[in-house]
Amino acid sequence: MSDKNRHGRSRLSWRTVLIILVIFLLYAYGLQVTKVDLQEPLEPRRQENLVSLLRDLAQPDFFSHDTETRNTAVSIHMPCPGEIKGTQVTIEGREALMVPNCATTTQDRIRISGEGFQPNADGVLAWRPIGATTSRRLADFKVSPDGQIDVTFTMPDIRPTEEAQKIEIVEILSRRITGLSDTTMEALDKIVETVLMALMASTIGTILAIPLSFFAASNLMRDVKAPLAGIMAGVILAPIMGGLGWWAANSAAQPLLGLIGQNLQFLRTDLGFFNFIGNFIFVLLEMMMQLLPLAIALIGALLAVSLGGRFGQQAAMHMAEAPARILTFALTIGGTAVLFIIIAYSLNWINLFGIREFLPEATAAQIKLFAIPGLVLGGIAGLLSLRASPKYHYAIGILIYTLTRGVFNGVRSIEPLMMGFVFVIWVGLGPFAGIMALTLHSMADLGKLFSEQVENINQGPVEAVTATGANFTQSIVYAVVPQITPHYIAYIFYRWDINVRMSTIIGFVGGGGIGFVLNRTINLTAYSQASVMIIAIAVVVTILDNISARIRSRII
Amino acid sequence: MLKVQNLTKVYEDGTVALKDVSFEVPDGQFVAVIGLSGSGKSTLLRCINRLIEPTSGEIWWNDTHISHISGEELRRARRQIGMIFQHFNLVDRSSVLTNVLSGRLGYINSMSSILGRFPEEDVQRAYTSLARVGIRDKANNLADELSGGQRQRVGIARALMQEPQMILADEPVASLDPALAHSIMRHLLQINQEDNITVLCSLHFLDLVQQYSTRAIALNEGQLVFDGTPQEIDDDKFVEIYGREAERIG
Repeated sequence: MSDKNRHGRSRLSWRTVLIILVIFLLYAYGLQVTKVDLQEPLEPRRQENLVSLLRDLAQPDFFSHDTETRNTAVSIHMPCPGEIKGTQVTIEGREALMVPNCATTTQDRIRISGEGFQPNADGVLAWRPIGATTSRRLADFKVSPDGQIDVTFTMPDIRPTEEAQKIEIVEILSRRITGLSDTTMEALDKIVETVLMALMASTIGTILAIPLSFFAASNLMRDVKAPLAGIMAGVILAPIMGGLGWWAANSAAQPLLGLIGQNLQFLRTDLGFFNFIGNFIFVLLEMMMQLLPLAIALIGALLAVSLGGRFGQQAAMHMAEAPARILTFALTIGGTAVLFIIIAYSLNWINLFGIREFLPEATAAQIKLFAIPGLVLGGIAGLLSLRASPKYHYAIGILIYTLTRGVFNGVRSIEPLMMGFVFVIWVGLGPFAGIMALTLHSMADLGKLFSEQVENINQGPVEAVTATGANFTQSIVYAVVPQITPHYIAYIFYRWDINVRMSTIIGFVGGGGIGFVLNRTINLTAYSQASVMIIAIAVVVTILDNISARIRSRII
Repeated sequence: MLKVQNLTKVYEDGTVALKDVSFEVPDGQFVAVIGLSGSGKSTLLRCINRLIEPTSGEIWWNDTHISHISGEELRRARRQIGMIFQHFNLVDRSSVLTNVLSGRLGYINSMSSILGRFPEEDVQRAYTSLARVGIRDKANNLADELSGGQRQRVGIARALMQEPQMILADEPVASLDPALAHSIMRHLLQINQEDNITVLCSLHFLDLVQQYSTRAIALNEGQLVFDGTPQEIDDDKFVEIYGREAERIG
């Protein structure tokens, strides 16, 4: 017994050693792959760069200034001529002595001392390299109370020239804040845009997610079962009624859209300060008209599924076995063919098989082309459908649940930044692309969170309401909705919070908002401007974080 | 008249909850369903209004073949059968009035119920039902502000809204203290006698069975082991129903 034990223990420790070894190798390899280098950050040049970046970031460009300066120029030679001397200049009672008056390497220390400067003034030493448009700051100094200066500096870089170059001693005589800087104004403008982007995305995402979340709740969908005839009747009717709805709404919406464009233009131009409200109403109307055909088509399709489902179910359940079988057979052929045509048409539209150019362009011609293989496939499916009783109820709900869940998880796993990239290509640069990316991600994310709330409800009330004779819709409205509403509201705020944070960076791919400006200022190395953007983001995110946390804690 | 014939329910995991159960309940009876926990009482009651699908067997309610209908017909059959639950099954975040009104959902169309519009006479009926169980003043409270006894009375009021001909009560007093239990049972008895509503009520305590019911049926492991008046349950029958280890306490 003890022998066996000892054997077991030794095997265990042997395994532990192996695991430690593997972990060690993993980290060793990781260190090499991730190129961890401790030398580089310690180099003086790198540290200089870091310091200068941090200094700019620590001096955010909040205000615009009115600055009065006085310059005193001293000549410097690069490289040093044979004999090294100092230079003395005297201008309007200011005396400055620079020793030495030349630099050969970036290590050469140069000292400027002088007197007669404005007491207590701040100042900088600036050098404009030959051919450069902006001056480079060499060092900061402060004039002593008795007007003396004493600064030591090195040249950051040697630009050899024949003639002497100028080092300017710049005194800042006075400096007054005249108002907010352009950067601050832009930051305010863009942060409002960012918050509104997040708001729009959260709102539209929520509107889309709420109905979809019910389809992704297993406790609701588990019991949705229908005979094959019902399912197939729905599949056949859905594109027909959806298409009819699209056509009807489109023919009504297009003239209306024209009317709005012609007669309501004044909303955007003639309201003075309130133009933005007019514009909002205008865009809202326009959007509604654009989306109307889609919405009507969807409603038509849903109605068709419900009607077709009911018709098929009633027919299959009430007919005798043989005619029900024939009906199911026929509907299955039709339904499968319709499904095949729709799928083939969509795949061909994105040219997945690379054969788009060999097929006729017109929709009707393509449908005709796909109809024959569709019907063949339908025939096979129809024959297969004969194997089961036409009254057998298929768990179609689970299929819908699985599909919806799959789409949610798939879309959720794609970063909004990637989606932003795609939408920028589709709808162009700007906040609209950002809104679309965030909307899509919000919809999938909220849809999943919402559906989990639906799954977590107490089933008791649903059972009770069902027992009173309520139908499916009524039991959702009366037993499910009251239970999930507070959680939904909490999630909406949480999502808004996330969207604000995401919309600050979605601008990096051109999706509008403050990220767009932040990206630009960083690329221009205008770090003190970038700093304003970063601070604006931090402030807004913190505030919204607080608000949303407070609202959530109050609701739940 | 309720007629149950050869009712069998086998769950998907293979559990046999009901085995070949047959009985008839004439209108107006107060029938107690007794048996150990897990003996199939809840399954039996839920099969009668098809909250649970029977595996085989027939259920007739008056002229309706309950075990073979679906959709609108099932909905119409269900609204004649009220149900009361052990855990009340109220919607906690809705008002008492809304909870009671939801008993009317089987009668009104989907559209107006989604908008929350109930006919005026239904609202009046809701107040009357609440008054009948003595909590008319709680109509505007949220359901989760009520005590256990009050919540079960809301459950009864909700069932009354259906104008039912039968009430299925699934251990209606198991979560209540004895005093409240008697009060709830008295309400059920009153409904049974005044409105001539059939009551099918599963109960744990024999003293409640003997005090309120006119007939008792007993299940043991899904099988009907007793059908008679409560007075007929003597010590031998008791052992037959509850098993050898059980001890008579009520």
